[in-house]
Amino acid sequence: MDILRDDAAISDMILIVDDDDINRGILDNIFSQYYSIDEAENGRTGLEKILKDPDRYCAVLLDIMMPEMNGIEVLKRLRDEELTEKIPIFLITAEANNETLHEAYRLGVMDVILKPVTPYIVLRRINSIVELFRARKRLGNRVERQNEKLIESAKKIIELNKGMIEALSTAIEFRNGESGEHVRRIHDITEFLLKETELGAGMTSEEIANIALASIMHDVGKIAIPDNILGKPGRLTKEEFEIMKTHTTQGGLLLEKIPQLRDSGVYSYAYDIARHHHERWDGRGYPDGLKGDEISLWAQIVSIADVYDALSCKRVYKDAFPREKVLQMIKDGECGVFNPKLLDCFFRAEETLCKLYTA
Amino acid sequence: MSPGKRERLVSAGIDVDEALSRFLDNESLFERFLNKFLEDRNYLKLGEAIASGDNEAALAASHTLKGLCSNLSMKRLTELFTLQVKAYRAEDPDLAASMMPEISKAYDETVAAISE
Repeated sequence: MDILRDDAAISDMILIVDDDDINRGILDNIFSQYYSIDEAENGRTGLEKILKDPDRYCAVLLDIMMPEMNGIEVLKRLRDEELTEKIPIFLITAEANNETLHEAYRLGVMDVILKPVTPYIVLRRINSIVELFRARKRLGNRVERQNEKLIESAKKIIELNKGMIEALSTAIEFRNGESGEHVRRIHDITEFLLKETELGAGMTSEEIANIALASIMHDVGKIAIPDNILGKPGRLTKEEFEIMKTHTTQGGLLLEKIPQLRDSGVYSYAYDIARHHHERWDGRGYPDGLKGDEISLWAQIVSIADVYDALSCKRVYKDAFPREKVLQMIKDGECGVFNPKLLDCFFRAEETLCKLYTA
Repeated sequence: MSPGKRERLVSAGIDVDEALSRFLDNESLFERFLNKFLEDRNYLKLGEAIASGDNEAALAASHTLKGLCSNLSMKRLTELFTLQVKAYRAEDPDLAASMMPEISKAYDETVAAISE
């Protein structure tokens, strides 16, 4: 089946361009048993036929001396259109001086055949080159289709990866009574802040996609936190809070142990975000007490996204706050201290982000 | 092709065997093209171009005739047109023009052999 499809696009038509109909007739007679034949009686008509539908021809037999436009001029035009690489061109000429031959080969003819032609030889020489071009085209077609398939499977794998990451993160969120919506919103907020504000300046779309995917895994360390602490409706004791804080380092440790993740472009972001999304701009966060720009931009972004989402939604330990209150609390530093530039971008983006909570 | 016709063609300087092999032994195609040779206007153009001193047109016509005659294995004419083209390429139109009587003689013989 594949072989049939490879051949489907490959022509078996030869174009004979010669001003003399006896010459055309002789070549026609030789080739018509093996190919279909088209003819042009001068260079200009020949060129027009080729330019109109280059895929129509598997070879062009070109005379040099012709009225309207000579063979060398035709050849130049075909070379300019990069068609000499796609269609083998043969010069068929009564005589040609060295200079013309050099010029012709330089312009990309495959072969020069002298008149009067000897049928057996002209057939052999042209057949073998046509076959070469066909094989090359078949191979090209096949490689192209395989590439398409590869890209398609790569896309599927990326989708599957994203699905697995979401599934893992959502499963963990379920334990403290949240739906999968939280991780999806963190993903969307992170992506939005990087794409639509100056925070993402200089980043490629691939980097942004990797960071957004990594943000989904910010709380995977919570798998290591006991149920009675994770699901506690009231305030945590000091000891309980110390344990709760370890979800950052536990997250890093867990991600470290997935070799497939370590090899991907997402890993360094995921590790950093899981470990540092509770650091504070003033250095009073955890687990490492990083300060200011010591905290990566992505960890800072996920940090504010996490706070914003937590305040905007009902949690086991609190109700959802109205939008004005959420913004006021973030402004007043009640839920952490943030980079002023980050806050600036965030408040501007919030006009759009608040729509995530109204649907 | 009758043996008589073949003989006439051969004596007019046509290598019939070689020509037939070029037409893949398709005799009727060969004869059709011999008749086309009679209708070909390049010989007339050559005469006109020489008369009016248009060397470029003369070269083009002579060149075409050379290819044509060689494809039809007209050995005598091929040889003459080859020399004539060479003379034009060497910028010697007088020499080229001076060959015309000899070319005309061979041409007329060839035409006669085909037409008979």
